[in-house]
Parts: sequence; C-alpha cells; structure tokens
Amino acid sequence: MAERDGEDRSIRAQGLRRNFGAQRAVDGVDLDIPGGRIFGFLGPNGAGKSTLVKILTTILNPTAGSATVAGFDVQRQGGRVRTAIGVALQDVGLDPLMTARELLVLQAELFGTPRDRARSTAERLLKTVGLDDVDPKKRAGSYSGGMKRRLDLALALVHNPRILFLDEPTTGLDPASRAAIWEEVRRLNAERGMTIFLTTQYLEEADRLADEIAIIDKGRIVAGGTPAELKREVGEEVVELQFGSCEETAHAYDVLAPVAPNRQAANRDLRLYFGRAAENVPELVRALDGAGLRLQGLTIEQPTLDDVFLRVTGEALEHEVAEDAEAQREEVRS
Amino acid sequence: MNDILILIGRSLRNALRQPATIIPNIAISVFFLFVYNSGLDSVQQLPGFVGTYLGFILPVSIVSAAVGGAGLAGQTLIKDIDNGYFTKLLLTPTRRLAVIWGPMVASAIILTVQVVLVMLLALAMGLKVAAGPLGFLMVVVLAFLWGMAFAGYAAFMALKTKNAAAAQAATFAFFPLIFLSYTFVPKEYVTATWLKVAATINPTTYVFESMRSLINVGWSASSLLVGLAVTFGFATVTGIMALWAARGATKLSG
Repeated sequence: MAERDGEDRSIRAQGLRRNFGAQRAVDGVDLDIPGGRIFGFLGPNGAGKSTLVKILTTILNPTAGSATVAGFDVQRQGGRVRTAIGVALQDVGLDPLMTARELLVLQAELFGTPRDRARSTAERLLKTVGLDDVDPKKRAGSYSGGMKRRLDLALALVHNPRILFLDEPTTGLDPASRAAIWEEVRRLNAERGMTIFLTTQYLEEADRLADEIAIIDKGRIVAGGTPAELKREVGEEVVELQFGSCEETAHAYDVLAPVAPNRQAANRDLRLYFGRAAENVPELVRALDGAGLRLQGLTIEQPTLDDVFLRVTGEALEHEVAEDAEAQREEVRS
Repeated sequence: MNDILILIGRSLRNALRQPATIIPNIAISVFFLFVYNSGLDSVQQLPGFVGTYLGFILPVSIVSAAVGGAGLAGQTLIKDIDNGYFTKLLLTPTRRLAVIWGPMVASAIILTVQVVLVMLLALAMGLKVAAGPLGFLMVVVLAFLWGMAFAGYAAFMALKTKNAAAAQAATFAFFPLIFLSYTFVPKEYVTATWLKVAATINPTTYVFESMRSLINVGWSASSLLVGLAVTFGFATVTGIMALWAARGATKLSG
C-alpha cells in the first residue's frame, strides 16, 4: 500500500524536536509510518500532538531533527509536501464571510485545479461530507461547530491528497457528527489507500480507527504498537476495585502488592492486571479483609487503552478529558 | 501569479460584503474636501498662489483616503490569523508572497477606486487638472503607490502584533505625517521653523507637491520624479518589512 499508484504515502521522522523558549513541546520524536495506514497519535492536552502535526505539515520548523512526508523533506521541499497532503487542524480554518462552495472552489484553485473542475469537485465534496443540502448562500461563519469541522475536512480533500493529517478531528463534536467523521476516515483509507495521521485525546477513537498507535506524553513517544499489542502488554484481564476514598485505595495498593504486582491506582479505583483474573479474586478479597479494607465494587473486564495510557504516563487520559470537559462546563456556568 | 490573482479576488469580494469597512473612509475624505475647501478657500487669494485651493487641498483628501483604505490590508490579515484561515492558506502550495500580497493589493485597488471617486467629486465641484487626463491618471498612480506603501506597513504591523487593536492603532501613527507638512497652505506662508523642518523630512510633503503640481501647475518632471521616487521607495521599504514579518508569522511562530 505504501507505493500504491507508485506514490510514496509514508511519514518518517528522526529526532524531531521543537522548543518554545525553555519548554520542549516535541522532544526527540522518531516515526516510521508506512503508506496506507491509519496512525493514531494519542495524548492529553499539551502533550505535543499539535506541534508535531504543524512540523510535519510544514507550517512550523523543528528546532532539531528531520522528517519526510510522502518522500519529501518537510523543511527543504515544503511546497511538494503541501501538494501531497491534506490537513484539518484542531482549530478549523474557515473564512466566515465565504460560503462553503466559494471556500472549496478557492481551495481547489490554489491547488491548481481549473475553475470548472474546482466547481464539480466542490459539489462532490459537499455531498461526501453531508453539506450539500445546506443553503448555498449560507456563509461559513454561521455554520454550527460540527458543520464547520465537516467543511474543514472537505477543504483538506479538494486535491485528493495521498496523506491526510487530522488534528483532533472530533473534539467537541456530538456523537452523530463524530461517527460520520469516523466513517469518512475509514472510507478514505480503504477506498483510496490514503495514509491517515490522526491525533486524538479520545481512547475510543484511537481504538476504533487506528491500525497503529503512538502515545505521546510531554513531547516524547512513550509507547507504540497496534491497539491489541498495547493492551496485551498490560495484561489479559483487569480486576477493577472501587473503594470509598482515595486513602483506602492507596492503602489497598500497598496491601495487594504481593498478590497483584501489576496494578495501577486512579482516584478511588484500583486496577489489577492478571493472566486470568477470576482465579485471583478469592485471594484478593482475603488480603483486603485482613487489612480491614471494605470494597465498594469489583468488576472484571478487558484492558482498555486507558490502562495502557495509565501505565506509560502514570495518568488516566479519560479522567483528564472528563475533568477538562467538567472544567469547561464550570467556566461556562460561572 | 495566478494564486495572487485568486487571493486578490477573494479579498475584494469580502470587502464588498462589508461596505461598513469602506464607507467611513471615503466619507472622511469627502468631509476633508468639503470642510477645508469651503473653510480655507480664501487662501487662493494670497499673492503668489498658483491654481485653485480645491486643487491644493484635494491631495490631502486623496492621501487621507489612501492611508485609511490601506489599513484594510492589515485588518484582513488579522482576521485571517484569528479565524485560522491564514494557516489554511499556508497549508496550500500557494506562495507565502501571495498570502500577504493578496490583501495588500486588494486594499490598494479599493483605495484607488475611492481616490477616483473623490477626484470625480472634485471635478464636479469645478476642479481643472492642469496636466490634463494623463495628469489625472498620474495622480491616481501616485495614490495607488502611496496606498501600497501604507498597506505594506499595515500588513507588517498586523503580522508582527497579530492583534487587531494594535494594528489599527499603529496606522494612526501616519496621521501626523499628513498634518506635519504643508497641508493647508503653501510653504511660502508657513513661518514656524519646526514645521518647515518636519515638512522637509516628511515624505508625504513630496507626494502632496507632486499631486499639486499635476493639478494646479501642469507637468513638472522634477516634482513628479521626486514624488514617484519617494512613494516607490517608501512602498519598497514597507513591502520588505511586510515580507520579513510574514516570514516570521508563517514559519517561526507556534
């Protein structure tokens, strides 16, 4: 798939670094992504995902290191890289005074498409992203958040790119819009062999879409592999224990060390990783009983990417996202 | 070249969709023309005054239109940066030059139209251009170049500050340049030495003199060449400043 139609669709990087003053936003990232894959880049806010996308898409120079996209050097062959890629950044880039059709035609023309063909491309893409029934005179500035994202995605596709960069494409979207974008991403990859480089802070998104995942934290890649490989690394099954307080969880963490060497605590939950969980439950309960700890709940489940994330970063991404969302709601309320 | 034309077209279309960004500027220029011409036209009775006061004050109105209209370039760039469209354009194979020049040339075209309207109004008020139709055209060319110079400065400020209020405030710095000159009376009647010094080092003075010469006197090679050299030089300097700022804004910032 890497050389489908004889075109290079790969993304490679060696030792990429980007400093902002004393802060290292990207700190020695290596990538080797063959063509035709959906590559998920997972990390919390401020982990360096967007900075990395900006470097790979030529709008930001790295402080050190090198990268090629579609076989072209991002620093020396920026124009050729931009011709080969489509990009939808986290902050959608739309001129609010223009209509969707005007934006698409202008974008296509800037990629060298003649006006007539640009018009037909615009109509086709509006259908693809489900915006063809919107009032043609409606300006992009009055679109809803979901409509703006879909239009932004259409803009990234006007020149049929070999590689598509999507920086948090579904952040802030409702479930229906999110599902529509996932479906489109899968279709582009399957039908056109497009390499998709997707950053996200949603574990479910990475799990469902990506062939391969890298987890980035504080500018560094801390884990990588297929979702199944990553989950296997933490264990076959998980026992989740719930306690009444964080102090009890911390106490249980120490008490269960001999029974469950592979374990992680997050707030009032304690997650224990085993080859076969059920066999270990009686011993767990006995150990907790002996320490005078009372369980609020116990469940057995499959490991998730959150377990992987927790293990490699020491923090739970889902909790962080939920806290962010709550903080935003608080901000709106106040 | 095609990408510049595409982006000029886009900026022009957007400007026409927001007439509120154009109308106040032309209203101020017309206001200057009416108020100063009707209030100070007795200056033309002074001994040694050549031509009409309408022809003398018209360049002030024109240059004011050029300065105000040029700010549009900066405003367009700021809006594009704020709403992310600037980055979207940088992600196309479009030359960086086109992304900056699109709004700059568009604002120069708009201000040229404004200048022509002001001049047509002046003709309706009885203006006679001593250098004839070609002289009229040359005044428009000078205004266009002067507008490009301001547009370059506005773009530079917009790209450096990335802040609409700061960029707008920066364009006000040019108003002293309009008024620290022989704005309302010929230099022979200015007595304050400080104003003479200021007017001599003020490039706007030479633009006024070129235009006034074309309107009130006729073709004067020396006056025209000095005016063209000053405007062209100024436009080159601010154009380079804008490109330099663009280099930073398009590549080195986060």
